[in-house]
Amino acid sequence: MTDTPKFTSLKVQDPHTKNRNAAEKRFRSYGIIALAIGGLFLAALTFTILKSGLPAFTQYVMKLDVTLSQEQFDDAESQLLKTAVYRDIFVDNFAAQLDAQGVDVAYDAAALERMLGKVGGDIRAHYRENPNDIGVPTTFQLQLSSRVEGYFRGRVTRDTLVDSRFLEKADLDVVDVLRDAGLMTGRFNWAFLTGTDSGVDNPGGAGIGASVIGSFFMMLVVLFLSLPIGVAASIYLEEFAPKNRFTDLVEVNISNLAAVPSIVFGILGLSVFIQFMHLPQSAPLVGGLVLTLMTLPTIIISTRASLKSVPPSIRDAALGIGASKMQSVFHHVLPLAMPGILTGTIIGLAQALGETAPLLLIGMVGFVAREFPDGVAAGFLDPNSAMPAQIYTWAARADVGFYEKAWGGIIVLLVFLLLMNAIAIFLRKKFERRW
Amino acid sequence: MGRLNQFLGLLLGGTTAMSLLLTVILVLALSAIGYVMGTHRALRSASGDQRLLHSLKGYYGQNVALSVFVPSAILLVIWLVAQPLFINQSVSGLIADQVGAEGVSSALIVQDMRRVADGLDVVVAQGVLSDDAIAALDAESTNIRDVLAGVGVAVGSDVTQLTLDGARHYRALATTGNVLRGFVVLAVALAGFAVALRRTNKDYRARNVVERGVLVLLFSAATVAVLTTVGIVFSLIFNTIDFFQTYPAADFFFGTRWEPSFSGRGGASDLGFLPLIWGTMFISIISLIVAVPLGLFSAIYLSEYASDRVRAFAKPMLEILAGIPTIVYGLFALLTVGPLLVNAFGNGGLFGVNWMSGGTAAITAGSVMGIMLIPFVSSLSDDIINAVPQAMRDGSYGLGATQSETIRQVILPAALPGIVGAILLAASRAIGETMIVVLGAGAAASLSLNPFEAMTTVTAKIVSQLTGDGEFNSPETMVAFALGMTLFVITLCLNVFALYIVRKYREQYD
Amino acid sequence: MTDYKISAKDVQVYYGDNHAIKDVNVDIEDKTVTAFIGPSGCGKSTFLRCLNRMNDTIDICRVQGDILLDGEDIYDPAVDPVQLRAKVGMVFQKPNPFPKSIYDNVAYGPKIHGLARTKAELDEIVEKSLRKAALWTEAKDRLHSPGTGLSGGQQQRLCIARAIATSPEVLLMDEPCSALDPIATAQVEELIDELRQSYSVVIVTHSMQQAARVSQKTAFFHLGNLVEFGETDKIFTNPEDPRTESYISGRIG
Repeated sequence: MTDTPKFTSLKVQDPHTKNRNAAEKRFRSYGIIALAIGGLFLAALTFTILKSGLPAFTQYVMKLDVTLSQEQFDDAESQLLKTAVYRDIFVDNFAAQLDAQGVDVAYDAAALERMLGKVGGDIRAHYRENPNDIGVPTTFQLQLSSRVEGYFRGRVTRDTLVDSRFLEKADLDVVDVLRDAGLMTGRFNWAFLTGTDSGVDNPGGAGIGASVIGSFFMMLVVLFLSLPIGVAASIYLEEFAPKNRFTDLVEVNISNLAAVPSIVFGILGLSVFIQFMHLPQSAPLVGGLVLTLMTLPTIIISTRASLKSVPPSIRDAALGIGASKMQSVFHHVLPLAMPGILTGTIIGLAQALGETAPLLLIGMVGFVAREFPDGVAAGFLDPNSAMPAQIYTWAARADVGFYEKAWGGIIVLLVFLLLMNAIAIFLRKKFERRW
Repeated sequence: MGRLNQFLGLLLGGTTAMSLLLTVILVLALSAIGYVMGTHRALRSASGDQRLLHSLKGYYGQNVALSVFVPSAILLVIWLVAQPLFINQSVSGLIADQVGAEGVSSALIVQDMRRVADGLDVVVAQGVLSDDAIAALDAESTNIRDVLAGVGVAVGSDVTQLTLDGARHYRALATTGNVLRGFVVLAVALAGFAVALRRTNKDYRARNVVERGVLVLLFSAATVAVLTTVGIVFSLIFNTIDFFQTYPAADFFFGTRWEPSFSGRGGASDLGFLPLIWGTMFISIISLIVAVPLGLFSAIYLSEYASDRVRAFAKPMLEILAGIPTIVYGLFALLTVGPLLVNAFGNGGLFGVNWMSGGTAAITAGSVMGIMLIPFVSSLSDDIINAVPQAMRDGSYGLGATQSETIRQVILPAALPGIVGAILLAASRAIGETMIVVLGAGAAASLSLNPFEAMTTVTAKIVSQLTGDGEFNSPETMVAFALGMTLFVITLCLNVFALYIVRKYREQYD
Repeated sequence: MTDYKISAKDVQVYYGDNHAIKDVNVDIEDKTVTAFIGPSGCGKSTFLRCLNRMNDTIDICRVQGDILLDGEDIYDPAVDPVQLRAKVGMVFQKPNPFPKSIYDNVAYGPKIHGLARTKAELDEIVEKSLRKAALWTEAKDRLHSPGTGLSGGQQQRLCIARAIATSPEVLLMDEPCSALDPIATAQVEELIDELRQSYSVVIVTHSMQQAARVSQKTAFFHLGNLVEFGETDKIFTNPEDPRTESYISGRIG
């Protein structure tokens, strides 16, 4: 130890202090780096989701005006190979349209079928369903085959394409010409939003509509069970529970259940609701029950916080004019805590909406979402999937065309989540009360 | 009239779920009617003068409604649990004298019977066979397995006459039970309705009774949490015991190979737990290596350094990261991070090394999971750092310490127990995380030390074993329950320990 | 240069829009105990915290005017508050030992400022500081048990030991006895008197008796103004300002 003062002047930093200040700067930069990594990741994730998911909302079609006379229709229907006749009619109309537009390109009927699938069948189906269109010009928008669609999206190129019965390299020249002529274009893919899951070999036809409905019915179950049960449990614990071992047990259970892996709730659902109680497999009702049990702790924790934030003076005021304890809670405390409770419930629902793993175990995998439920009871009881499980099913399929659908599904899921969170934030801002 | 018949048919004979739904709806409707009638009756007894009533008029209505709803709801829940137990007992009794010789446990036979019974329900529902035709079925002349397969129900082995008889017995009991349940529950509801309504008069202390009833309802809502835990434990324990009857526990816990044969056809399976727990731990550790420093430094920066502007921007960012569903992270791992890592570390990659052959690997799942855990770690640490009293900071600054010295040498040591608790909670999250590893980590179980290799975890295997097409009571499927059990025990211990540490820590500064 | 250790000229302190300290001029001598007295909220603690720039940690706080330490402006942009605080130590109202051992509490300052070359030197500093803080005999056998396990008065003496371990020239004390019982208070007051031999001590206190007992100079603050500053004896027996007299006789405050 030296007796001379260590720092001669305050304005001159000694080397030791310089080092310490450098360490300070380094330390501070670690924090900035950590936050920047999080931000970068979020940006990359957003970019990837939009880039890979938005194409799912466009669909590539060929537009063609076809006029079918009644004679042609009767004649075709009397033939043995009906769709072949319709195909020829289509090819004739196609040729006429190319001539009218002055487009010159070599093609044959087989090439058209490679690009558009079985056009004959599509056209026949249309006229049989809409007999009024016979004799008037009708614009057909025929969906392109998945490989041609892949070419439009850049997934298939001339270099990667191997000639096969599905598509040949030469067909791409025709596609280029038709695209430049405006005959092949993209349009908004309503079918993705309103459709059901398709077979494993048809990514183009897959839609998320049915699983949105599945998620909707599940959320109804979760809302109507977890809100009353959660609020009732919170009121009991916060206002009425005596300090005893049972109350402690409930408290420990709630905080522990909040941290139990979601997949364990799936096992619970499988063995209790399906194996033991014989509720139907893959049903949104069962999914809703499982998610309810999973969401309850979250809702109870946030509800108790809202109840706690109502000052005791309110309770005293009610009790002081002769209200019963029950009346003071239900008439005064609960209404005041309601905005907080609703906010917590919506956030809990949003969590449940994104949950996947337990649904897989109770059979709500994507491929059961093949049709829409026909009615409310069927909505709860018929096999269906849910958005995240549908996304998982698509992601797990071999055909890369489904990846785009999975990303698109994520956009739909995130839109719902954003909406729910926006409502929660709105409620919080609007009803926020400071005591 | 036809409609009424159809309705009654649904109520009494329909599927379990349908008749249940109708029973509940009827009880609720009766409660609503009870409310209206109770209110009216009370008012009438006071000749329309509310002031003469002991309680507010609504309480009389609520009293009737609760008298309808509470006893019948309790009965319904008890029935739902008791009926399957009773039927199982009865069916087991049926076969008690006939088994033993084959050395198969009766539990498995009963399970077979139940599965066949469920299958027959589907057969009837789809209109393939009528109930009468099923009663006439004979295992000798009809291949029941094929019949069931025709409606999409897979049964492991051929259905013997014994199983078929059991299944029929099972169906008969279940149908009777469902009918009886509907009747008894409605009878109880009606009885409650009548009793409560008769008691209703102006001097009846309705409020006190209702409040007691409501308290019971509130209390039973609170017990749901306990029942959930009980349900989890029971569903895991019984199935795990069943599994250990067909597969030795020692082989499960100490086996180093995980090679289930498909659908139970390819001979014996190796169902060793060690590679799975190894993969789980390995991936969790990678994720913690990512999440702990990033989350901790984010929390430190936000609570000690950041200006309000930075905080207004960074906090919502972390909240968004926390709110993204895991399926999104999983897809990002599978389709974006995996290929990116292969481009960097794979053959002909950016770094000229050939460490990685496929996108799905421990490091893919681990790093993405790490990002997922950042907000979790940072929000917990933020709370804990803020709980350190300002006096500690003042004391340190007063001695001339810089901010970073204060944080490293005073705040972090003071907050250490809380931070350890937060890290344990994050570890429990990582161990239980499913979708990211299902999509990002690969499927091959391996006891490797190489993070660039595919690995699999306990959770991923629970999903694959329970969503596969294996028959339900094969060891390949049942192993999922043993895996679930170990997962539950591990996370439970971590959670309880971590919550204990955090609570102790909080008390210290309260 | 004057003999003054610290001299403050026209100091103004603002908390946001609130003008907390107005035109304060004060000169603090070396090897003297200076007491700041005044009713609660009069700004005496705020002013004390200006003397080692502890107010820097509060975002909305602004300080104007000059505060010179040995003739150097401590608010000069070139001044490192870290070095400043090594010279001007501080003891707080509530004892705030770090959750570390007694030894580590005292060694913390010397360690961060790099005052010891070897472990032996550090040991020596710790012992010397504990001795000066009159804690050595009580603490020498439990140097490695946590500082939070000491009694309130011992904790405050530990904090004093911690502050003098960096060999400061000025010691600021913000109501160091307000959380202590009378016996512990007497011990700390005795200690303050001894510390005067080596340091310039500035103490903020609520208790006029304490100011009269320990200080040689007293400054009376009221509503952010320095009302009167002078010899302690004079302030307490013959104040010039009527406000000082009112306060001392117990009519305000």
